[in-house]
Amino acid sequence: MREPQVAIAGCGAICATGNGTETLLTALKNNTSCLCPNERFTRLRFQSNTVGTAPIDATGDDPAYKLASIALREAISRLCNRQSSIPPDRIGLILSTTKANIEALERLSDGRPCSAAASRHLQADMLAADLASEFGALGPVQNISNACVSGLVALMQGAKLIQRGAADAIFVVGADHLSGFVMGGFTALKAIDPQGCRPFDQDRRGLSPGEAGAAIVLVRRDLAPQSSITISGWGSSNDANHMTGPSRDGAGLAQAIHAAMSAARLQPEQIDYVNAHGTGTPYNDAMESTALRTIFGQTTPPISGIKGMIGHTLGAAGVIETIACVLAMQGKFLPGTTRLNNVAEGFPANLVKEPRTATRIDHILKLNTGFGGVNGALILSHE
Amino acid sequence: MNKFFITAHNCVTAADACGARLGTRFRRMDLSSQLALLAVESFAPHFESTPRDRVAIVLAARAGSLPTDVNFWEGRNAAGGLSPTIFTYTLPSAGIGEIAIRHRLTGPNLCFVGDSRDVLVEAKDFLRRNEADACVCVFVDVASPAFRKMIGCTEAAKATAALLQRNGPGLPANEFNLLSV
Repeated sequence: MREPQVAIAGCGAICATGNGTETLLTALKNNTSCLCPNERFTRLRFQSNTVGTAPIDATGDDPAYKLASIALREAISRLCNRQSSIPPDRIGLILSTTKANIEALERLSDGRPCSAAASRHLQADMLAADLASEFGALGPVQNISNACVSGLVALMQGAKLIQRGAADAIFVVGADHLSGFVMGGFTALKAIDPQGCRPFDQDRRGLSPGEAGAAIVLVRRDLAPQSSITISGWGSSNDANHMTGPSRDGAGLAQAIHAAMSAARLQPEQIDYVNAHGTGTPYNDAMESTALRTIFGQTTPPISGIKGMIGHTLGAAGVIETIACVLAMQGKFLPGTTRLNNVAEGFPANLVKEPRTATRIDHILKLNTGFGGVNGALILSHE
Repeated sequence: MNKFFITAHNCVTAADACGARLGTRFRRMDLSSQLALLAVESFAPHFESTPRDRVAIVLAARAGSLPTDVNFWEGRNAAGGLSPTIFTYTLPSAGIGEIAIRHRLTGPNLCFVGDSRDVLVEAKDFLRRNEADACVCVFVDVASPAFRKMIGCTEAAKATAALLQRNGPGLPANEFNLLSV
């Protein structure tokens, strides 16, 4: 017996574009880069302070919880009456984060004030438990930390929990905030582009950190309207090659894409758009291009990435970029690749620089890759 | 109902990591990754009989990467600044990457922060859904002195691991507890 399908019932987001998915939609349609200097990071020695800053109180001690709860509140507000009446014990929550409330570590290390809640949210499992408690999710609670693929893995996990009957709805929440910790780490790795990230550009030099809260409510297909977007397939893999660098041949990512398309029972020519990981680092973008050529040959679908708009939001990336895909599917447009000027030689010719309308988008392939060699691919379908 | 088997299992401590002879790369890792890698080391012969892209890895780390995070952040005032090497290990999933590299395991990955309760459940699900033919299950429990001082938890430095496969011989998976290794 085929397992039940899983649909997307509501989305919520807060990121550099502003508070709410409407701000993200507007930025996507206008191809606006929201990366800009953040004064918090000027006095310390970082490669750059051009980042994607979300509109939250920068002096707060619990930014991870703030980002997550704002996004989740919006996502829940979008549910229809039938979805809102799902019993709490049939609702689960999956948190996707790489650093949880790392602000608390900085505060405690410096002897600065830090509330008990903020300290507790240093631990991702506590952060997930408190979110579940506040938002009435009494079903299964998990937290995923698979580097920058966390968000996609959390969505895969949410779909699995619903398919195997552990829940009727899952709140998938991604959250990571800007911090000296992460800025310092990427500076140590010399991974930040001083001018702001330029994914797939011939002059790309690195990533731009960003922060976001992003939430997607997944429900069993029969609890959603007929026209809903579904998660139709997924795959994950590991390069087994290097801890911080992607494999040059793209075989691991191609393996994940292949698994996702097999699960969705799709052929390459049925994919209408690819939303890339597109960090703007030289090796990641090259590897991703190679993997896409492996799957699609010389005729790739339209491809773009949005990190030039909001930055690399780490554990939230997979969730907020999937929301961008949902908005594109609903609005029938292809997002552009913000800050891409000159496509690097040998990269897919079908890279979308500027947003454009699309007559139909039935299937979107969403990709993310991360430290430790992990790769993720997710397919959204709207038929 | 699917029946799966635990075909190998192991438990290691910080003392094992100190005595391990796994080369200079091993010495560069944080303690959590060392323990995760070491706990799986004896499974190597089992991987020969399964395509490497069909072996999944599920890991849970009780404290995530926080002990390593504390260590990394202490370097902010050091002469050389923050360490890029340590930053690599400030992710709870770092141990998965090291296991994958050492044993060339390219199957799916899943990493939790917190207790071990979901590890075997999700490992079985990978096999049930036919997303993998075997699954490496790891639970890492590390609380360094600096981390303990900050959070106020008890000392720990241990990893347990099990290999879940479709066929035995081995212990029926339903009778196995990762914490009992």
